[in-house]
Amino acid sequence: MLPFDIETPATMAEALALLDQHDEDASVFAGGTALVFAMRQRMIAPRVVVSIGQLPGLSEITYCETEGLHIGALVRHGQIAASAPVRRHYPALARLFGSLANPQVRNQGTVGGNLCYADPATDPPSCLLALGAEVIIAGRMGQRRLPMRAFLVDFFTTALEPGEILAGIRIPPPLPDERVFYHRHLRTPAEHRPVANVALRFVSGPDGRDWQNVRLAVGAAVPVARVMDEAARALTGRPITLALASEAAALVAEKLEPISDARGDAVFRTAVLRAAARRIVAEAAGLDWTESA
Amino acid sequence: MSTHHIHLTLNGEPIAADVPGNRLLADFLRDDLGLTGTKRGCETGVCGACSVHLDGAVTKSCLCLAFQADGRSITTVEGLADGATLHALQEAFMTHGGLQCGYCTPGFLMASAELLAGNPMPSDDEIRKALSGNLCRCTGYQGIVDAVKAAARALNGL
Repeated sequence: MLPFDIETPATMAEALALLDQHDEDASVFAGGTALVFAMRQRMIAPRVVVSIGQLPGLSEITYCETEGLHIGALVRHGQIAASAPVRRHYPALARLFGSLANPQVRNQGTVGGNLCYADPATDPPSCLLALGAEVIIAGRMGQRRLPMRAFLVDFFTTALEPGEILAGIRIPPPLPDERVFYHRHLRTPAEHRPVANVALRFVSGPDGRDWQNVRLAVGAAVPVARVMDEAARALTGRPITLALASEAAALVAEKLEPISDARGDAVFRTAVLRAAARRIVAEAAGLDWTESA
Repeated sequence: MSTHHIHLTLNGEPIAADVPGNRLLADFLRDDLGLTGTKRGCETGVCGACSVHLDGAVTKSCLCLAFQADGRSITTVEGLADGATLHALQEAFMTHGGLQCGYCTPGFLMASAELLAGNPMPSDDEIRKALSGNLCRCTGYQGIVDAVKAAARALNGL
């Protein structure tokens, strides 16, 4: 690892001042799981590492019925999985964080670090998109909020401006009868990094099949997680059948611009996502996806 | 490069040290402190051979910088045994074929110890999930799962 200086600011204001001072020479360091690896591989070579792991007030999870869930940027994956309000109000999110990567990474990695590093081969972004999350960003001029879909820009790229630090994420309170599903596909169980994932959120009608407020999001197979609006519209207000699940899956596949690399080429990733979209819709509607359309 | 004066509790003993900013926790333990039970395997966060406990939570020390240990408590595989008396997990790994070459064993022991601390009688599935951040290329894992189950029974007096 190339040499660097570590700064350990005591407050957010000090951390922001350090970023301002060192500009492009600085990297923000939270849990370290991604950044230590990236520095060892010399994918990045900051001259100054600004460690925010010790900053106060960024490690809490709070829930209230009007504001919903707030997760501080320094909350570790395992803490989200174990959190009582997350398990109660967002069980799909608790399951996601409980199976992210492996136990060691869940003990050390932070949700803020995961989002800011913006490696597409991960679980949270698509599910957070489906949940309508927003990010809270601290800067020298104060805080700003951005919808998750505006924060996630591209491959390893977020909307964070130089000198800004992600402070937390907020997820709106679940609507009555809201249901959320998340599925990921790994190339091998030991690899831990999904090749494709899909998240679905909707408000269920009385018969369980008349869906409103549908959001469908995909991740990992694409450079940046994204919502699939056309597929969501197709699923809104219509009886959910296997044929409709296939129709929505075709709309997902049509609009993709997937990653093509050694872990899966574009054709493979498209096929996986198409199957995953069909399955998640069918399962959410209580249909047997193994039957042909 | 910055140097950091850190204080930590290591296997129950308070210590202080000066570490350069880019010192990995794994290198600090092995090269500076001579605790070579913690292994460097893949050095990319995949294999788990470098697993140690940071404040009781199993962590890959190749993905952690030494300065992050400041003010915290570390347990390495050297801290598992009580003097000459091996931990129940160490006994069980020996008697149940939980190792062959042994290189991955310290990591598996630390991951297993965290599991049993929070879940005294885990199912096979829970054991396999808890050990999913560790790779073994000798045993095929069955001996390791058997060993963790046997250690759980022993620790519960069964």
